[in-house]
Amino acid sequence: MTAAKAAQKRYFDARRAEAVSLRTVASLRLTLVLFGLLGAALVAVNLTQWPATWLIAVPCALLAVNLLAAIAAHPAFRLRMPLLVFHLALAAVLLLAAMGRMTHLKGELELSTGDTFEGVLTRTQAAPWHRSKLGEVRFTNAGYAIDYAPGVKRGRTANRIVWRDESGFERESVVGDDVPFTLFGYRFYTSFNKGFAPIVRWQPANGSPVQRGTIHLPSYPLHEHGQAQEWTPPGADAKLWLMLKFDEMLLDPERHSQFRLPQRHTLIVREGARRVELAPGGGMDLAQGTLVYEGLTTWMGYTVFSDWTLPWLVVASLVAAAGLAWHFASRFAARSWMSPC
Amino acid sequence: MLETFTFETALLWLALLAYAGTLASALRAIACGQSAEGAVGLGMTVGLALHTIALALRWTRLGHGPFITLYEVLSSNIWSLLLVYAIAWWRIRAVRAAAPAVLAVVLVLGAWLLAVGEQDGHLPPTYRTVWLYAHVGFGKLFLGAALVAVGIAALILLRSMNVFATRLATLPADVPLEELAFRFLAFAFVFETLMLIVGAIWAQDAWGRYWAWDPLETWSFLTWLALAAFLHLRVTLRAGPRLRACAVIGIFVLAFVTFFGVPFVSTAVHKGMV
Repeated sequence: MTAAKAAQKRYFDARRAEAVSLRTVASLRLTLVLFGLLGAALVAVNLTQWPATWLIAVPCALLAVNLLAAIAAHPAFRLRMPLLVFHLALAAVLLLAAMGRMTHLKGELELSTGDTFEGVLTRTQAAPWHRSKLGEVRFTNAGYAIDYAPGVKRGRTANRIVWRDESGFERESVVGDDVPFTLFGYRFYTSFNKGFAPIVRWQPANGSPVQRGTIHLPSYPLHEHGQAQEWTPPGADAKLWLMLKFDEMLLDPERHSQFRLPQRHTLIVREGARRVELAPGGGMDLAQGTLVYEGLTTWMGYTVFSDWTLPWLVVASLVAAAGLAWHFASRFAARSWMSPC
Repeated sequence: MLETFTFETALLWLALLAYAGTLASALRAIACGQSAEGAVGLGMTVGLALHTIALALRWTRLGHGPFITLYEVLSSNIWSLLLVYAIAWWRIRAVRAAAPAVLAVVLVLGAWLLAVGEQDGHLPPTYRTVWLYAHVGFGKLFLGAALVAVGIAALILLRSMNVFATRLATLPADVPLEELAFRFLAFAFVFETLMLIVGAIWAQDAWGRYWAWDPLETWSFLTWLALAAFLHLRVTLRAGPRLRACAVIGIFVLAFVTFFGVPFVSTAVHKGMV
């Protein structure tokens, strides 16, 4: 054998080996095995407390490789355009979902009525590759209305949000549990979590500047009988116990009602054994300063979600569904439903 | 119960009675080697008409669709399953012999419905969206198409066991019957895909996430995976019609458990029928 023939043989052997490897990775039997593996992982995740991400991600990644290899290796995909569209769209869904997992953000925040969000969340779950733009997001909670059906069943929430657009114009939007306010790709939703917030003024005895703010009491009506909170004034040592007291029935279980502030209310403040009941405008002297109860407002708990892949995921999955329907419709149109074989 | 027995409830009971009568006619006919197509067609039409009016009255009275309480979900599923089957029954002759199997499944839900008793529900704030209607609609089409496939699969298995041999001998051979079941299951797969997509769109705005592997989502996806595996198995393994018929029934059982079982054990916010 000449050197040229030997090189040619080596070339063809290598190509043959590549083709065999591709066919193995593209095998439909492997697809079935991976379906089984993914199914087992899902059952394990559902029945145990095992971490979902890796258990699901590994078989999904293997399925994606198997799918791409199948598209490359099987001529059926080139002959049947709808089938190719479906599988390519499915590969796109897998890729986008994986990207979304690596770049998304979930979080929560609370905002008193009249206060402005300045980019700080109370709870954050950011994926490793998330690039935060939250620092640029600004909006003000301008108050809300919540309908309640008989039985104190929460209905629609309409929360007014004031924000500035790119041109600096002030705009107003209405946010709900299922109607997000979207800015810089962050989707803000209202939640069941909301309640009352006493407005207090703290005047330190040492001459430091007066501070004014709100204290968020536990969610209402979820904690209807526990409207109390511990709070330490800024720069002080003593921990105070505050409780909102009112006698009105705000949400009537017998009829439709709306979330509202009580008309008459007082704030009970306890410092050690000392107990003082403050009406709006009333104050009390403490060892390290003076506390004034200015009045009552509300707070709203928001959830925030950011995932740039969302619109692309919708498009890819709808294309996949359309490809699938197209594939079956064209395949079944070839033979009558009355005698399908 | 008698205190709350309204015209709407009376219509529903009459519809269930019509379905039960249809099942009795279908069973009697298949046992005697006859077809009873006229009686089955009339029974389903009358039952569906009464049921449609009952659901419409309820929808008008409550101001929301029948998908909040267990009573509503069972009632609307009985209606949708039979509607899909009735359309298939009208268009495809081979499907008509499957009436006893299909009606038996439907009447299991009917018995459950009577045991549950009538309940009115409150429409949660995140349910006022067109996506919910699309999600529920595709879910019903999925289950309806899968039930027709099950009816056909049952015919293949009954014939292999030599049950109702006279009537079943008049049907097409097992291979075309299995192909017919496959077609319905293929469209069930499309509808389930759409149900999952639309459900994810709804979940994004309802709960601030499009997918969270809650029990209902997980088991719905498992059903989708089982359907996908079945479609691939048809290409990969040369199994006979009987084995494939068993697989069709297995997939329907999985879907049925997902729809009507998982919501009872799930503590997630996504409750499905509960």
